[in-house]
Amino acid sequence: MSVADPWKPFREVMQAPWDHVAAWKKKSGRKVMGHLLPDVPEEILHGAGLFPVAIEGGGVQASHAQALIPSYTCSHALGAMEMRLRGDLNVLDGMVIPYVCDTTRNLFHIWNLQFPNMANELLRMPKRLDYPGVRTYLAAEFSRLFESMAKLSGKSANTQDLGESIRLYNRSRARLREAYDLHRTNPSVWTAAKAQLLIGSSLRAPREDHLKWMDALPWDEKGAAASVDRIPVYVRGKVWDPPQILDLFDQLGFVIVRDETVTGWRSIAQDAPANGDPIAALVERHMAAIPYTGYHESPDRMVAGFVLRVRSSGAGGVVFLNPKFCEAAAFDTPDFQKGLEQAQIPSLILETSTRGVSMGQVRVRLEAFREMIGNDLP
Amino acid sequence: MQPIESLKQIKQITIEYFTAAHSARQNGKPVVYVNVFTPVELLYAMDMFPIYPENHAAILGARKMSPAVAPAAEAMGYPIDVCSYARCDFGAIKTGQSPTFGLPKPDLLLVSNCQCGTLAKWFEVLSRHYQVPMVLIDVPHSGRGEPDPAAERYVRAQLEDLVGLTEKITGKTLDQDRFKETIRVSRKASELWTRMLALGTSIPAPMTVFDQFVAMFPIVSQRGTQAAIDFYQALVNELEQRVAQGIGAVENERYRLFWDNLPIWPEMRTLSTFLSDHGAALVTSIYTWAWSKLAVSEDDPFGDWTQQYLYEMNFHLNKRIEHYSQLAREYKLNGFLYHSNRSCKYLSQDIPEVRRAVTEETGVPGVIIEADHNDPRLYTIESIQNQIGSFLELLDVKRIQAAS
Ligand code: SF4
Ligand code: SF4
Repeated sequence: MSVADPWKPFREVMQAPWDHVAAWKKKSGRKVMGHLLPDVPEEILHGAGLFPVAIEGGGVQASHAQALIPSYTCSHALGAMEMRLRGDLNVLDGMVIPYVCDTTRNLFHIWNLQFPNMANELLRMPKRLDYPGVRTYLAAEFSRLFESMAKLSGKSANTQDLGESIRLYNRSRARLREAYDLHRTNPSVWTAAKAQLLIGSSLRAPREDHLKWMDALPWDEKGAAASVDRIPVYVRGKVWDPPQILDLFDQLGFVIVRDETVTGWRSIAQDAPANGDPIAALVERHMAAIPYTGYHESPDRMVAGFVLRVRSSGAGGVVFLNPKFCEAAAFDTPDFQKGLEQAQIPSLILETSTRGVSMGQVRVRLEAFREMIGNDLP
Repeated sequence: MQPIESLKQIKQITIEYFTAAHSARQNGKPVVYVNVFTPVELLYAMDMFPIYPENHAAILGARKMSPAVAPAAEAMGYPIDVCSYARCDFGAIKTGQSPTFGLPKPDLLLVSNCQCGTLAKWFEVLSRHYQVPMVLIDVPHSGRGEPDPAAERYVRAQLEDLVGLTEKITGKTLDQDRFKETIRVSRKASELWTRMLALGTSIPAPMTVFDQFVAMFPIVSQRGTQAAIDFYQALVNELEQRVAQGIGAVENERYRLFWDNLPIWPEMRTLSTFLSDHGAALVTSIYTWAWSKLAVSEDDPFGDWTQQYLYEMNFHLNKRIEHYSQLAREYKLNGFLYHSNRSCKYLSQDIPEVRRAVTEETGVPGVIIEADHNDPRLYTIESIQNQIGSFLELLDVKRIQAAS
């Protein structure tokens, strides 16, 4: 092992992301663009000469935000507003909020009215995944965003730069997938918390630096082989909320074989084609991604596709991390659970909340779930 | 207080509508579940029968049946936090309880998301339940309302595709003359509805928003039919007479108020009596205005729908502030009652900001009432009445201060 701890930079980013962002901003002279997850293509912001930073409101205790948005709002949106109000996000020059549901649509307008000095953009995401015309529309919308972002950074929207950004992000994602797969095969060393530490920090640090830090990791480190009683589990949810849940999965002997969170596997699963028209490549990547809960395709296919993804992951069970007050997730879950039942895959729903959840209770429920799956596994 | 005679027809109109809905199914007429921002004129012209599950859910709410049906949806796994219209709909399907004998099974589900995203998710559940196809008219929310040519092409193409789809389902070709006629009929109903709303500017107002909620049924469920025109023509005539004679809906009208968001259906009568006893008239509301904007021309209906869905119905904070401020002036409002509706995140999340900005802009104060439009388990009527009562006292203080 080298003298310096190779995991340190990632931990530091996650412990004090805004201090680091401010330092990078100063060093690089780039404007910082926050983006609310999911599906704002970071490549577009990066290719336009900005420094993209993901905003994840989950796990933030909201108190000031409730004066502006009612408490029956998901923790992701409320948390983002809370962070802005308490000053965490002062370093941002602007914010891109994707229209993925009624909540983000409202959040954008409230944000824009409250913080007129920021460059705020609504990314008008289409909801249909089952319609041919959607690609043309999305390409136009991505181009619009690219031009607007380039204007903000004071350069011309150059597709060559965008192509470069795509290749950089593809390299980063390939490394992150490697880490994710090591968690599957070697979970005692590559814990869920570590794999997610890499993904989470990649969304907050300059990708070039982050890639270098990843290269310095001990990729060959051998640990105890996955013990037989590790339980392979699949997670569907928005973000890791509460964030401590990752440690809990590790402690309780789960292996997260795949997940659909927007800060997890879903964010790294697909690359954009490295050559050709970069905007078309980003559209391609979007269309190939695991459908976000707010999007629409044939309702039967939504369930069948989910069950198929779970099956092919080899998971013994599914944990739904549903944000409280998220209508989309709430409407999807019962039929998704029914689909799993038919496939004889057990599942558990954990509801996340802005008021915080009791980790003790989460532990008890996960333990019970582990027993249940453990008994069913051959 | 003199009741509005024409409103007495609503009961019969509702019965006839649901009877026709059930017989449409029996006679092999395709049944299509829709929401308001869908081109129902096309469906009428194709001999299809549009049905609004939201409307049925509102009837369940108004009949105070939500506590009997909604828990069944919660038992199916739909949390109490999701829209109570949807929960009532699922619960009514599950329990079979409904004053309209339920809704006939659909052949197609057609929904647009320029209203809310909830409906699309709700219809996805119905699509799986009934094993019928669903079409989402996807309307990308156009930000601050700036022109978005790519979105216009995207929305228009989806709308035009509906012609082929309905032709495939019905096995008929769209009769352009009939289509145009339906559009004319629909526009006429919309115009009458708008005239009716505008009469609320009279002092005293001849009709309250509670009456408008009752009168909504035909404009929601039957625009595109002669029944809607006949009803609204009679209603407008009667209201014009009341205005001419100075007859108000509320005796000794002292406060002219705005109602924001959906009604609280289970409390219509209680709140109406409460306000009326206090001399408070709800003279206009945002909910009822939505139906005044649905008219299209025969020349380019798809272009008009595209514009409407993308820009008119693109309802958001700034537009709301502007619109409410304008209504405050036109209707000489004394106050705003903002219903913060737990169910409807779409129409509620920006209320604190709307209230702040509208008061800043117009000087007209508002009170936020935490409730739910269809589920009485999520509020208490006493607390709503207390809040409104205190607000009216505040208006009195303001009045005294202004006079001195
Ligand atoms: S889709 Fe759900 S979790 Fe995501 S922003 Fe909307 S309400 Fe929140
Ligand atoms: S009440 Fe609101 S959320 Fe529910 S269907 Fe109507 S518009 Fe959508």
